[in-house]
Amino acid sequence: MTAASKSTNKRACKNALFRIKERAGDTVVLCVLLGGVLLFILWPMLCIALRSFRAADGGFTLEAYSNVLSKYGTSIRNSVVVGICTAICTTILSLSAALTCATRRSWGRTLCMILLTAAMVAPPFVSSLAYIQLYGRRGWITYRLLGLSWNPYNLAGVVAMQSLSFTPLNALFLLGVLDKLDADSLRSARDLGAKPSAILRDIVLPLMRPGLLVSMLLSFVRSLADYGTPVIIGGRSVTLAAEVYLQVIGYSNLEKSSAMNMFLLVPSILFFFIYRALMRRSDKLTAGSRSAQGGLSLPLTRCGSVGWLALIGSGLFFVLTLLQYGCVLLSGFLKSKKGVYSFTLDHWNELWSIGASPVVRSVVYALIVAVVGTLFAALFAYYMDRRRVPGRAFFDCIATMPYMLPGTCFGIGYILAFNHAPLKLTGTSIIVLANMLFKQLPTSAKICSATLAQLQPAQERSAQDLGAGRLAVIRDVVLPNMRPALLSCFVYNFTSSMTTAGAIIFLIDPSRQLAVFRLFDAVYRGDYALASVLASVITAIVLAVEGLVWLLSRKEGKRRVS
Amino acid sequence: MYLELEKLNKSFDGKSAVCDLSLGVERGELLCILGSSGCGKTTTLNMIGGFLAPDSGTILLDGQDVTNMPPERRPVSTVFQSYGLFPHMTVLENVTYGLKFRRYNRAQAREKGMKYLELVGLADRANAHIHEISGGQQQRVALARSLIVEPKLCLLDEPLSNLDAALRARMRGELKRLQRELDITMVFVTHDQEEALILADRIAVMEHGHLLQLGTPEEVYREPTNDTIASFLGLKDIVWGEDGSVMKIIRR
Repeated sequence: MTAASKSTNKRACKNALFRIKERAGDTVVLCVLLGGVLLFILWPMLCIALRSFRAADGGFTLEAYSNVLSKYGTSIRNSVVVGICTAICTTILSLSAALTCATRRSWGRTLCMILLTAAMVAPPFVSSLAYIQLYGRRGWITYRLLGLSWNPYNLAGVVAMQSLSFTPLNALFLLGVLDKLDADSLRSARDLGAKPSAILRDIVLPLMRPGLLVSMLLSFVRSLADYGTPVIIGGRSVTLAAEVYLQVIGYSNLEKSSAMNMFLLVPSILFFFIYRALMRRSDKLTAGSRSAQGGLSLPLTRCGSVGWLALIGSGLFFVLTLLQYGCVLLSGFLKSKKGVYSFTLDHWNELWSIGASPVVRSVVYALIVAVVGTLFAALFAYYMDRRRVPGRAFFDCIATMPYMLPGTCFGIGYILAFNHAPLKLTGTSIIVLANMLFKQLPTSAKICSATLAQLQPAQERSAQDLGAGRLAVIRDVVLPNMRPALLSCFVYNFTSSMTTAGAIIFLIDPSRQLAVFRLFDAVYRGDYALASVLASVITAIVLAVEGLVWLLSRKEGKRRVS
Repeated sequence: MYLELEKLNKSFDGKSAVCDLSLGVERGELLCILGSSGCGKTTTLNMIGGFLAPDSGTILLDGQDVTNMPPERRPVSTVFQSYGLFPHMTVLENVTYGLKFRRYNRAQAREKGMKYLELVGLADRANAHIHEISGGQQQRVALARSLIVEPKLCLLDEPLSNLDAALRARMRGELKRLQRELDITMVFVTHDQEEALILADRIAVMEHGHLLQLGTPEEVYREPTNDTIASFLGLKDIVWGEDGSVMKIIRR
């Protein structure tokens, strides 16, 4: 054998080895992705269902259900009533805000966007905190300004505060729908003689209908799942989610809370499928748009009563939101002595005295989830969209489900699924991290697959054509091209991890507290000053990270242009 | 002149898009504005339609100054490049939408809608939804929707560019027939020389916001006023009909 043929042989060998390695690596990655989804999303949900049917002796029983129905009928009714009211109020406010934002030009729109985004970033319970400060028994507005003495702890307050805090997200979603409307359709209508009010009534609103229904569904489910607001300001009337919270935290009664959770889980899953169908319809109605749109040119003041309502609604929303955040920020610096307020930094010193560790831990957790979650979501989106994965529709459906799953379900499901060997994770930080990651997977995966849809598959084929293995294609072509999506995914994951409480409350180990948990604790105990300080710190950190990433992406964009 | 543009100017961010444009269209005439992308033809169309306000100059239609009239009151209707059909309405609802603002009752609107659908050969698809019909049919719905309001002037913004070659040729013939039959004044914007030569009664060639030449297809073809037009037309041979219309184009 000559030296030359020996070296070709060697190279062929190496090539074959490389290919086997790549193929094996590819399979491992896919298995990790699919296994993760099954283990951390499907399994916990199954655990809830199974546990709710289990009798004390291990047999099958419906006792827990009949118990819940007979004992918690009022809670269920409260949940439904609050859910419906919140869904309607949120959708009206969101539509108003979205319409106002879409019809403003340049700076007006930027201002609206900044307000909406900042409001999204706010930690949970802030609205409840502000509600008590502003409208409570000794509230700045109700008591000091108006001299009223009323009991603020009721369901109307819950509806109001839920609507205010759900509106930013829904408004941004509806704004997305508005931006996708075909500009030529609107211009055609105008061209045919339609006045602004007719365009709004005949074209804009009908095209937004699926989107509006989605907004209602989302708000309804989020309201069902929200335990924080009713626990803090619900007073005597308790909703089902609040009851679940009290059952788990107070009595550790897992059977009963599982059965109660089923009342949240089943409608949520049902709504999830309706949601998917509606989203498809919404996309269909806006997919035909081929003409780009530079802002909706629809003067709301000339849109008749609907236009005026939208302006008033959005004005109300923006004023109340500003009041809330102003109030929270201020109360961190104010000290009340015999009803006279003075400036102080005491509360900030108090923050240092409880130790900065919950805040630091929150940031570390959020960073871990942001990095790992982004990578997971990007890979998941890639395998789902570009590869023929067996059972693709099934896995896609499972992975999207957490979007609609109430936090209490997701939390208790995790406790049930991971509290015994071989998967004993309760009390560790892994369970908290996994919970955050998978709760946020639907949105991150959606961000990634939207970008992926714009990449030409020809790129990947070319790389494969040139000899790149499957993993090499992902590493060299797919991920680099998804950079903008990865950045926004990172920001989303970081923000959500810092600010969502949902399921985490149930999973956290008392020795490893997070900032959000301390916040809830402070609000619950009535330590509003400390709560305000914590809320301000969390918001500041999130905004700082968002700003940093924004600067980074802008710098990069500039470099790419030059 | 039925439609008269006088010294129209429009610039975006200091960049001139249309510069001192003056031209006229006779009643019942089909004028093609021909030019490559970015020559200002769509800007011109948007100014005639009322979607853009010119920086200076006037637009006269049938003796009336319409320069500052908003699109919803201007007796002009447009067929957009992407059609701008309403995806949540049926074909018939789309076509009769404009009649809502012209004091027609439901039955009258329906009757007139069916008449126009018959005119474009779509009477059997009246109750179909927009996403159920083909691109060529969508194009005809858009045309019927614009014509039903009996505008003094119909504007078409590259209406055939989304169709494939064979369909484009057929729609070209149909458009010309409709225009003749209904005796409508039309301004048609295109970058396709062949389309302009075949369809137009007169052609306005534009470049960089300026009008280079205005004349019948034969004039523009036989005596291009400058080399740009000659090379832009880029056609080697045309078989002319007796009335000066184009019968056939031979590409070498």
